[in-house]
Amino acid sequence: MEEIRPFEFKECVSIIKSTGKSAKSLRGLRDMIASVSGDSIFHHTYQYFLKGHALEYTNDFAHWAGESLEERALCERLSNIDPYDFKEIDDLRSELLRVIDEYIENFPEPREAVEGDEFYFNEPVTLVFPVGTRARNLAEFLTAAKYIDQGSFYFHFYEARVRLGGGVDDFSKWFEDALGRKKLAEKIRAIDPFMHSVEGIREHMVKAVEEEVRTDMESGL
Amino acid sequence: MKRYAGIAPQRDLLLLKRLGERLKGRSFLHINSTRAGGGVAEILQRMMPILQELGIDARWEVIEGDERFFDITKKIHNALQGNPEEITEEMWNYHFEVNRRNAERLNLDADAVLIHDPQPAPLVEFRKRGKWIWRCHIDVSKPRKEVCDYLMRYCRKYDSAIFSVSKFAKTMGIPEFIIPPSIDPLSDKNRDMSESAIRETLDKLGIPADRPMLLQVSRFDRFKDPIGVIKAYRMVKKYNDCILVLAGSPATDDPEGEEVLKEVQEYAADDPDIRILLLPLFSDRDINALQRAATVVLQKSLKEGFGLTVSEAMWKGKPVIGGAIGGIPLQIVHGVTGFLVHSSEGTAFRIRQFLNNPEMARRMGEKGREHVRGNFLITRQIRDYLTVWYCLENKGTLIEL
Repeated sequence: MEEIRPFEFKECVSIIKSTGKSAKSLRGLRDMIASVSGDSIFHHTYQYFLKGHALEYTNDFAHWAGESLEERALCERLSNIDPYDFKEIDDLRSELLRVIDEYIENFPEPREAVEGDEFYFNEPVTLVFPVGTRARNLAEFLTAAKYIDQGSFYFHFYEARVRLGGGVDDFSKWFEDALGRKKLAEKIRAIDPFMHSVEGIREHMVKAVEEEVRTDMESGL
Repeated sequence: MKRYAGIAPQRDLLLLKRLGERLKGRSFLHINSTRAGGGVAEILQRMMPILQELGIDARWEVIEGDERFFDITKKIHNALQGNPEEITEEMWNYHFEVNRRNAERLNLDADAVLIHDPQPAPLVEFRKRGKWIWRCHIDVSKPRKEVCDYLMRYCRKYDSAIFSVSKFAKTMGIPEFIIPPSIDPLSDKNRDMSESAIRETLDKLGIPADRPMLLQVSRFDRFKDPIGVIKAYRMVKKYNDCILVLAGSPATDDPEGEEVLKEVQEYAADDPDIRILLLPLFSDRDINALQRAATVVLQKSLKEGFGLTVSEAMWKGKPVIGGAIGGIPLQIVHGVTGFLVHSSEGTAFRIRQFLNNPEMARRMGEKGREHVRGNFLITRQIRDYLTVWYCLENKGTLIEL
């Protein structure tokens, strides 16, 4: 019998590097978004999910538009951009620019941020490391999933979508490829990453896996 | 390290272990300008044994200087924080000269050298080998340009720089990392204390425990706005009976402290409910007790590198009010983990809110503690310093350990 490839839980930690670029006005923000590195766009959008949804926005640009420029409508529009809708960072960049351009066209002179409240563009440097936990079957996976750190969940669920593409995450990929559980994989892929905090994703996933384990037990597998 | 299990986030401990495995046996030298007083010395004191436990050959050296040197560096410090100060060529030369003498005295040979703040910045001219990193702990968001430009002559010669907050970063042409400082939850200043120990300290310091206590712990420095704090307290006092405690320790690299202390004492003179405490160095247990006994903790700074006293108070579950400057907004998420203010009036209003809504104060205090656990504990900061060192030796934006 072929041995099942275990799931190795990893974790990622990012430290932040300044790009030296900043914006004081909406036009300045727009021009910088057009020219900064993809890593910087990634940090200010995808990595916002690492902040645990403590605030009411979904990316740093929306946060700044709302808090520092006090442009509420723009901040709602920027918050509504789901980064997981885009295959490439440059597609996401184009959408950010489209929304800002449209806003500038209608409201040509939005206010500037007060001094010291400018938007500072940063980039991440990310370290990935194994946490020392492996799961060889669903039951082991369930136990681990309940207790592993949020950063591990972020890495396997959020970061993986960017790494693997096609709306696929590490968890569902393992369920499908290693365990042959396509239905469970589909259930996990159906969880909207944009609408949940890391803890919310954990809750949904634990529930789905628990159901699967219970069904196995009841059917005598 | 085991003592941090269950206190610090698991990810930080794990990454520390992994980085420790890779950097084991290598040397890591820290240099600053004071052994005691202020947040930098405090954190270095706690950081060394942890680095050594990870197997890293960590050393901490302090540069020596006379009164003239520290007068000059205090002026440089003030100018970098935006105060009008004139630093003459002769003063810069003396700054360099004292560093040159220190370079002769100190062993600068290490695999990684972390230089803290402007005082020892010129040491980079005497580098031997290894990665040199300049760590800026102060608020340099609006510095006096000519002073900043002069200092940058040295700083650009480093392999990398670290700032506490994004807005402090400069365009220096070297990698600039953003790393907030931290507190040690197990230090005398932050570890749990019994009610009786707290009461004992209050008795010793002559602080009555019969009324709500407002507390600001900081050096006696105009940038910490102790006068503004007294103004806020006076506004509150019309509505709520309370006492104000202003507590600070002298720092050997701050010659202005005495002058500011006198100003504050004069301003407070006639009010027995304002207690000004000049605590001796290493009064960590007393500060811990004061923070735990406080009803509301203030850090109404006008300029602030980071303002670690905010995290200290939040770690103790206290409601905090801080000036919306420097690193304070990173710690205080306005309305969630405390309140950010811009004036004495704003401070007074928020103090009154806390005094009249203990449930809200408790809730914000709890959120504050979790915020500190996730972001501002010493294990995270050591992890970040080692990460910078590792990144400088292993290029890339995604590094597998």
